[in-house]
Amino acid sequence: MRPQSKLALLIVLILTVGAAVLGERVVSREASPGRVTVVYWEKWTGQEGEEMRKVVDAFNRSQDRIFVKYLSISGVDQKTILASGGGNPPDVAGIWQEQVFQFADLGALTDLTAMANAAGLTRDYYIPAYYDALSEGETLWALPSTPASIGLHVRPDLVPSEVATPETFPETIEELDALNDRISKQNADGSLVMAGFLPSNPGWWHWGWGPLFGADLFKGGNPTLNGPETVRAFEWIARYSKKFGPQAVQNFQSGFGNFASPQDPFMTGKVATEINGVWKANYIRVYQPDLKWFAVPMPYPKDRPDLKGHSLLSQDVLVIPRGAKRAKEAFEFIAFVQRQDVMEGLCSAHGKNSPLNEVSEAFFENHPNKAIRLFDQLARSPNAIYPSRSGFFPRVSGELANAFQEVNTGLKTPKQALDDAQARIDGLWKTYREQVARS
Amino acid sequence: MRPSRVALVHIALVLLSVLFVLPFLWMLTTAVKPIGETLTSPPRWIPSQVLWSNFPDAVFYGSKELGYVPFLVYARNTVIITLLCVVGSVASNTIVAYSFARLRWPGRDLFFAATLATMMVPFPVLMVPIYGMFKEFGWIGSFKPLWVPAWFGSAFAIFLLRQFFRTIPNDLSEAARIDGASEFRVFADIVLPLARPAVTVIALFTFMGTWNDFLGPLIFLTDQNTFTLSLGLQAYQTQHGGTPWNLLMAASLLVILPIVVVFFFAQKTFVHGIATSGFK
Amino acid sequence: MNSRHEARIGILFALPWILGFVLLLAYPLVFSLVTSFTNFSVLREPKWIGLSNYQELMSDGVFLTALQNTLLYTIGAVPLGTVLAIALAMLLNAKVKGMAVYRTLLFLPTLVPMVAQATLFLWVFNGDYGLLNAALRGIGFSPPNWLGDPAWAKWTLILIAAWGCGQAMLIYLAGLQDVPANLYEAADLDGAKLWHKTRHITLPMISPVILFNVIMAIIGSIQVFAVPQVMFPGGAPARSTYMFAMYLYDNAFLYQRMGYASAMGWVMFLIILALTLAALRLSERHVHYETQ
Repeated sequence: MRPQSKLALLIVLILTVGAAVLGERVVSREASPGRVTVVYWEKWTGQEGEEMRKVVDAFNRSQDRIFVKYLSISGVDQKTILASGGGNPPDVAGIWQEQVFQFADLGALTDLTAMANAAGLTRDYYIPAYYDALSEGETLWALPSTPASIGLHVRPDLVPSEVATPETFPETIEELDALNDRISKQNADGSLVMAGFLPSNPGWWHWGWGPLFGADLFKGGNPTLNGPETVRAFEWIARYSKKFGPQAVQNFQSGFGNFASPQDPFMTGKVATEINGVWKANYIRVYQPDLKWFAVPMPYPKDRPDLKGHSLLSQDVLVIPRGAKRAKEAFEFIAFVQRQDVMEGLCSAHGKNSPLNEVSEAFFENHPNKAIRLFDQLARSPNAIYPSRSGFFPRVSGELANAFQEVNTGLKTPKQALDDAQARIDGLWKTYREQVARS
Repeated sequence: MRPSRVALVHIALVLLSVLFVLPFLWMLTTAVKPIGETLTSPPRWIPSQVLWSNFPDAVFYGSKELGYVPFLVYARNTVIITLLCVVGSVASNTIVAYSFARLRWPGRDLFFAATLATMMVPFPVLMVPIYGMFKEFGWIGSFKPLWVPAWFGSAFAIFLLRQFFRTIPNDLSEAARIDGASEFRVFADIVLPLARPAVTVIALFTFMGTWNDFLGPLIFLTDQNTFTLSLGLQAYQTQHGGTPWNLLMAASLLVILPIVVVFFFAQKTFVHGIATSGFK
Repeated sequence: MNSRHEARIGILFALPWILGFVLLLAYPLVFSLVTSFTNFSVLREPKWIGLSNYQELMSDGVFLTALQNTLLYTIGAVPLGTVLAIALAMLLNAKVKGMAVYRTLLFLPTLVPMVAQATLFLWVFNGDYGLLNAALRGIGFSPPNWLGDPAWAKWTLILIAAWGCGQAMLIYLAGLQDVPANLYEAADLDGAKLWHKTRHITLPMISPVILFNVIMAIIGSIQVFAVPQVMFPGGAPARSTYMFAMYLYDNAFLYQRMGYASAMGWVMFLIILALTLAALRLSERHVHYETQ
């Protein structure tokens, strides 16, 4: 071997040993000595993750017995499943509401009821729909971190002036359809210049169309995808696809890009109205602060005035996985997050409404979203709709999204798509019940 | 080559380069845009102003909240893990592949088939037992799950190197053996230098694979100051807050820059091969 | 060298991998195989259910759709990627100035992070104002909707796969270095044309590398996950891009059916194995090794 090669080899060897030694020293930092460490994994990253870090820091400063060790990392669901399966779960996990009952159905969560009641965190402390969405009978499985409600966002510069205010904007589906017919524009080749409304945009709540027309997706406890209200909702969707032509709506087909796309049809003026969550204002503030917009409740079918003021709700939540080593201390931290001042600070920083029944005037006054009062009202509406409390819900949601795409692209008629979805869901439902049944 | 053919090759290469470099240019232009211009329809290539400050902003992103510069900590961790993986991968895979390619031993071909078969089982169904295993070893939260396996070889690298080793004529090694060289000498002094392009490929792929690995660090690391760069890139993404695309792209560019530089120099070994094996 | 000595050295040299196989791989493989015969949610103890998972797979419409999508994708992506990677590697092996730069530029797509690629592709292939369709309209075509039309989305994925052939290209480039220059010189003296030299010198000489890349491409295509997952979540539109590995992943981590996912994983294993054996059988007469 040449001397140069020997020298190179020696250098590589030294570097390798050095890296191995150094790597061993870069391991988990020990939390505060003398304190109980609570491990908290949160799916929020970026600015949202940093806002939660502030809450964690405040909690750690507020007392001297417990130290919350905070990890902000996406993919927390998968990481938590693997760690729980390996008997090594975190003490607190920040997940989505849709996942709560998946975990709960498999006995993977700690029952929070007794601890919550003892801490005064009962149903009347919350906006009822948010609390109910996390409990099953008398059992509470999770508490909110930040919630959301959705409404129809409107660009006043793209609609006729007589409907360009929240007070005058259409209240019913039929009026919305008429407005859409009036203002939508297409090129000679059929491509869209602008749509008044497009059901496929942004495409995140396809499970919600049926309920927005009055459907109960778990009628009598069994998943029902092809009930008359849902069929009616999908027929309504099909009319939009038919009007614009499948080719045109395909450009706005839901689900392209598993991330908030920078090509946002609402901000770029491809649609005049869009159904979206309270957080839409965050995007507008970041990307196009000068954009004019307002929000109204999602319209309801004219013959169902009882549905007026409805909204779809979602929540980011905190849970204590079963097998967590520090459940009691973990709950102390969760309870801290539920304090009105802490919760309002967090929700305001995230641009969300508060899940608590009592909301301070300052919260509304200082909130970055000027329509925050509307989103608060929507959450309080008796017609508010939240994801079904079943671990089977992600399946229902997935099948409805698929049925939506089949209808929207003209592959199937609404009835056909929903009947097919129902047939598939029936088989899966049977398997699911066997899976969660305790042996 | 005839001059007309040289010109033809150049034209083809320039056209292809333009096509292949598009996504990279897209990153670059997004990285220096003001945030508002990252979101236009149709997208715009030329920013109204070039904000080089996005690069320092991306590097120091989050450092105020954390009290240290996370990007640099992640870079240190990534360098440590990558170095250990590349050295381990080259050391183990070359010698194992040599054994499979040029030595006969009972059960060799069957074991080689089994080696190939391990690549055919998708990783998601192996994650649960692998996690359980590393937990039993007490490795969760440390770098060990990310680099120790590299020292035991990988099916991909063994297969690739074996294919290359088998194209090297046997008479060379036979001659050395007759001269009394040990098998290790034959491997290190004769076969390895001849397979330099392939070894470079393995080193490069291990480098890229480790540098960009997301899933491994996601599953096995449990503390922010042990994170790698690929995990760190998430720090720019939010669920509902509006992602700063320009900073994300600036940071991504900085993350892949070392790979581009390493590649630029590594591919130079791809001309030596002919010179050394030209005597055949 | 006598054969016992050779065997001892051989096993000694292979020892790292033998250890790695036994210590790090054997247990996970056996575990997942056993799990495929159970009802296993990860969060609970597995429960033995015999062949039920495999039986369910045979009548699972979505599984069959995903399987069909994946096979179509493989049939398209493997040949296209192979031809393109070899062609590019040969071009990058020409002796012209500035090759270091060309090589780096052509390899760049392999390095661009997934999210950046996806945002770009969503624009390039956009049926309305996308770059590709603007070009196609320019030359008088009436272009399809690459992303939104269930009949076209799969082809878009195949095109994207071809564009990311950098890794295979690099391996071919390394392989080309081992082709002895004197073979070409002899052919040049005979006045052989480029195609003739490619057909009778280059391809036979790099045949072991082609075999390697084709097998890796088969494995990679059947297991394709990241690009469709990021660009077409849930296999949108209407499951036309829903791939085997996506359905497997959803069952494992979204629906908590790890047992079912494991059964799928082992069916995937058998399919890849069958395709690999077919590739080996087809290649037997064409792959040229120096040693046995």
